[in-house]
Amino acid sequence: MKALEFRRNVPRFAAARLAGSLTPGRGASVGPLHLADLDPPTAPGPDWVRVRPRLSGICGSDLATIDGRSARYFEPFVSFPFVPGHEVVGDLDDGTRVVLEPVLGCVSRNLDPTCDPCATGQLGNCENTTFGDLEPGIQTGSCHDTGGGWATAFSAHPSQLHPVDGSFSDESAVMVEPTACAVHAALVADVPDGAIVTVLGAGTLGLLTIAALRTFAKPRTVVATARYPSQRRLAAELGADLVVEPDGIRRAVRRATGSRAVSIAGDDGAVDRLSGGTDVVVDCVGSSASLTDAMAITRPRGRIVLVGMPASVSLELTPLWHREIELVGAYTYGTETLPDGSTARTFDLAAGLVRAAELGRLVSATYPLHRYRDALEHAAAAGRRGAVKVAFDLRDEKERETLMEMSK
Amino acid sequence: MSNGHLAPRPGFVLDVDRSSPPVLFHHGEGFRLEKLPADRTRVIYPAEPLEGLADPDGAIRSALLNPLGDSEPLPALLHSGMKLTIAFDDISLPLPSMRRPDIRQRVIEAVLDLAAEAGVDDVHLIAALAIHRRMTEDELRHAVGDRVYDAFAPSGRLYNHDAEDPDGMVVLGQTPHGEDVQFSKRAAESDLVVYVNINLVAMDGGHKSTATGLSGYTGLRHHHNVHTMLNSRSFMDRENSALHASNWRMGKVLRDADVKIFQIETTVNNNTFGREGPMSVLQKREWEWSPKDRAGFLAMQQGLKLMPSAAKRKVFSSWLAPYELTSVQAGEVEAVHEVTTANVYKQQLVPVEGQTDVLTMGLPYICPYNVNSIMNPILVMCLGLGYFFNLYRGKPLVREGGVLIMGHPTPWEFHPVHHPSYIDFFEQVLADTTDPAEIEKKWEKQFAEDEWYKHLYRTSYAYHGAHPFYMWYWGAHALQHLGRVIVVGGDTAAVRRMGFQPASTLQDALEMSTDVVGPQPTITHLKNPPILMADVT
Amino acid sequence: MARLSFPLRATPVPNGVEPPPPVRHTGTDFDTDWARSQPARVARLALVEGVMRPVMSLVASPAVKGLDRLDRLDGPVIFAANHHSHADTPLMLTTVPEPWRHRLVIGAAADYFFRTRIGGSIAALGIGAIPIERTKVGRQSASLAADLIGDGWSLLIFPEGGRSPDGWGQPFRGGAAYLAIRCNVPVVPVHLQGTGRILRKGKKLPQPSRTTVTFGDPLQPGEDENSRAFAARLEAAVAVLADEATSDWWQARVRAHAGTSPDLTGPDIGAWRRVWALGDRDRRAKRNRRHWPEL
Repeated sequence: MKALEFRRNVPRFAAARLAGSLTPGRGASVGPLHLADLDPPTAPGPDWVRVRPRLSGICGSDLATIDGRSARYFEPFVSFPFVPGHEVVGDLDDGTRVVLEPVLGCVSRNLDPTCDPCATGQLGNCENTTFGDLEPGIQTGSCHDTGGGWATAFSAHPSQLHPVDGSFSDESAVMVEPTACAVHAALVADVPDGAIVTVLGAGTLGLLTIAALRTFAKPRTVVATARYPSQRRLAAELGADLVVEPDGIRRAVRRATGSRAVSIAGDDGAVDRLSGGTDVVVDCVGSSASLTDAMAITRPRGRIVLVGMPASVSLELTPLWHREIELVGAYTYGTETLPDGSTARTFDLAAGLVRAAELGRLVSATYPLHRYRDALEHAAAAGRRGAVKVAFDLRDEKERETLMEMSK
Repeated sequence: MSNGHLAPRPGFVLDVDRSSPPVLFHHGEGFRLEKLPADRTRVIYPAEPLEGLADPDGAIRSALLNPLGDSEPLPALLHSGMKLTIAFDDISLPLPSMRRPDIRQRVIEAVLDLAAEAGVDDVHLIAALAIHRRMTEDELRHAVGDRVYDAFAPSGRLYNHDAEDPDGMVVLGQTPHGEDVQFSKRAAESDLVVYVNINLVAMDGGHKSTATGLSGYTGLRHHHNVHTMLNSRSFMDRENSALHASNWRMGKVLRDADVKIFQIETTVNNNTFGREGPMSVLQKREWEWSPKDRAGFLAMQQGLKLMPSAAKRKVFSSWLAPYELTSVQAGEVEAVHEVTTANVYKQQLVPVEGQTDVLTMGLPYICPYNVNSIMNPILVMCLGLGYFFNLYRGKPLVREGGVLIMGHPTPWEFHPVHHPSYIDFFEQVLADTTDPAEIEKKWEKQFAEDEWYKHLYRTSYAYHGAHPFYMWYWGAHALQHLGRVIVVGGDTAAVRRMGFQPASTLQDALEMSTDVVGPQPTITHLKNPPILMADVT
Repeated sequence: MARLSFPLRATPVPNGVEPPPPVRHTGTDFDTDWARSQPARVARLALVEGVMRPVMSLVASPAVKGLDRLDRLDGPVIFAANHHSHADTPLMLTTVPEPWRHRLVIGAAADYFFRTRIGGSIAALGIGAIPIERTKVGRQSASLAADLIGDGWSLLIFPEGGRSPDGWGQPFRGGAAYLAIRCNVPVVPVHLQGTGRILRKGKKLPQPSRTTVTFGDPLQPGEDENSRAFAARLEAAVAVLADEATSDWWQARVRAHAGTSPDLTGPDIGAWRRVWALGDRDRRAKRNRRHWPEL
């Protein structure tokens, strides 16, 4: 079975880090990721089924892993060697098309009783991702036992699978997982009606968050930052009222909120601090710069939702303290409580949003597995090259047929 | 060799042929010598500077004692116990700033001397800047002189007009067209308002001095708008200017509200760079440059090439023009203004026949709104499509649908203290649309009412939030009239943002213009410095 | 030792003969023409620009006002200033503008500066002084001054005659007025303020203090004006300048028109109160010149 495998190899890891710092995505060429011919996956348990991916997306967290940028925080939650890929739409052996919800919670680990979060459906907060019948791994795509989406086959627990009907295209299906992250973030943000909300970053996550905010909340104005013209266009299409370059965000928020600038930094007239600010900021970037900007533009007692995976950042927290700003993390998805009191699985809400906003069009490019280096470099430079989501297309892999033959 | 003691020569139109020398173009803080195509180009040369009056102080005194129109001499209007307000033109005049003593200093000292003689105590002096930026202490000292400044500023009786002071502004009524006449409260309540004006171009003066200079946004929006500017053809020609018609209506409302105005208007010659001295070469006709002039010019070009732009700005902004007073008249507004306008025309008007397909111009480093500051792209547009395009009487120099080619480095740079609202206008408004009517409808109100811009206008040295809009409207007639605008030598991103086309040389620009006006277009070049106004028949 | 005989030695005047009047070389007879020759002028230029100027800017840091009033003057003028201390002369020499600065002679008290040959030479060379009587200008010094003015030299004169003893002015004598009328040149009134503290009468060492030099509008003698009337007009002009320097221009104009300008000679009160009243005369505030950064 063809798969992209990530092996533990310290020198290669270092090489990947170096290469990745020079050219994003270049870690794929020199790092511990390689195209291998592996044995087909064995089911970790009796209920488990085999999934043959059709499209597998490349996520920002995958890129960080490949370029050696991920925080060391996740090391206990990963079992080497693993196959990455957690944004998957694939076929079951009986022909059903399914979308993968990659989180490996208590149920899939055969743990009874489940932890509290799993009991309430908050799979993203599962406490037992390193215990149970499986090797450690927070999700499919970082666990040795399950395999991952960047292969022609992997194993999945039934609780992870969501069937999709024929009217839902593969491209739409592969967008469901990232959209679920965005939906969860939008609901964590808890935007009051008529508020002004700012989204920092217009990569995949940022653009989907804009769409989610427009659907699940009623803000008065959505301000967004986007570095590239293609992103600006999409941000406006998906519902942002004001899209500016990251440098101009403080000025733009000043205009949108009608506040005053408290001090002007330096000679170039950059607006430094505002008297008021936006009610909510959703940071889909997660860097020191974006968080500093976020604190500068949030109104006192406002909220910053951190969605983009941060690494180790260094921040001056005085504005957070002085303005009594709430900083809250938003990680993956699970079950959401909507403003009207009802609950729903995030994935279901996401699927609805993907259909309504035609988010399948955000899949800009697909690559076969053997061109993984190009795929990863394209994904890393997506914004600059006018792309949003880059995915692996496994539908043409000859192996899919032979695997089916083998199973018969 | 300039004319020395011979009479100053009038302006004229030169038809370019193969033996014509290249023409000196202003190019921001620098100059270019451009060769214009032969046999289809005409260059309009300005008149030489008229002689200034021999005894300016005497002429001023005489004007105050012998007023024009229905007015008593100034001493008769002054008496002890009265409230006197002296309003004067702000830093946007003259351009460039003139050498000391400034005309305003001479006039104000003469007025104050008469006031002292009459025993007037309650005197306020106001820089009538409408919604321009406040003037600094040094700028005020330069305009009114140290003696007047030290006598009145410390006690708070010499100050900048504050159009956003809720307690300092009143609405005195409406014109028959429903235009609010908003005015300075101090001036409205005074027994006499003396206005000290400098008429650099024919747009200045008359009722505009008071109705605009001492007004605020509530009053200004009635004539500083797209509709008015489209119907001002041109706004340098009062008879055909909707801008002036509105101001004249407002002047009548002021009169009916018993605001007594004693208008003192002055004209200066166009001696911008001097008849002698290192910069005089810039006002001379190219074929009259002496070897010394040519050497000096080359040395200047070399020096400028080596300097960074901040240094160049500093050098140019430190130049003070040796302007001389050519006329002074005082008394009733309209009578005074007739004489003033005649004097402005005497210096600046050059008769020109017919229009051409293309109009070219080199834009200088200074406009009314960037004194001691930076010329940002919006001001470049205002200077070219607003002021220079409209320096005509009769018809524009370029035909309808023709092309305007202007040269300026157009840097994407903004002065953060003077022009904060311009930055937002350029980044947000122009990115959305460049159509003046759209801009007015969609964006003007929020900028005009923005609290922060108002705060900066009142307490810092910033132009009001609405001001960049007025700059854009100033070029509305040109935008409607022209087929295309090409900027030579400008920052390409900035030029495109404004909806114009960038070109790196004049030749390229002329090539590009053939797309619009056809092959072998006829060209008019408006030569400056110094300033001129075309009388197009 | 043998006594030298005539002609190696002067011979006394014989009896019965009237001794001839002694030839005086001091006072108003002091010959200063050599001090106006080219080499002397060059030396004086070096002294004024190279030494006096830096010293005065250090010691007196003068603020010069009213220079624009001299714009339309052409040809020699007479500068008439009030007099408080020896610092007045170098201060004037370093603040009088071109084209008068380097063709300037100073009328200095004949009995003080030109008492000795050495003293007189220093005065003539160093500041371009010519001898002039304190109280009433004599015929000799008057004709010398007139000749010089006719040659294009400008004259600086202190009409009070001497330095003020207590800081207030003394009545103006008629010398400047007389010369102006005789030579038909304008008189520029000048007010010096603050020099009294630098080198007070009686003190030797200068004490740094801020000074203000205010030039006034030039005065022309009237058609039939006599020197007494003109001198009074001159004194009044300097009084208005003093008012301008101590309060402000507007108040000075108001009081000038009303005729209530404060008298240069000070209030008619006792000595200490006069000194006290001098106290509140100096104001100059520091100015914050930069309102925005250099861009």
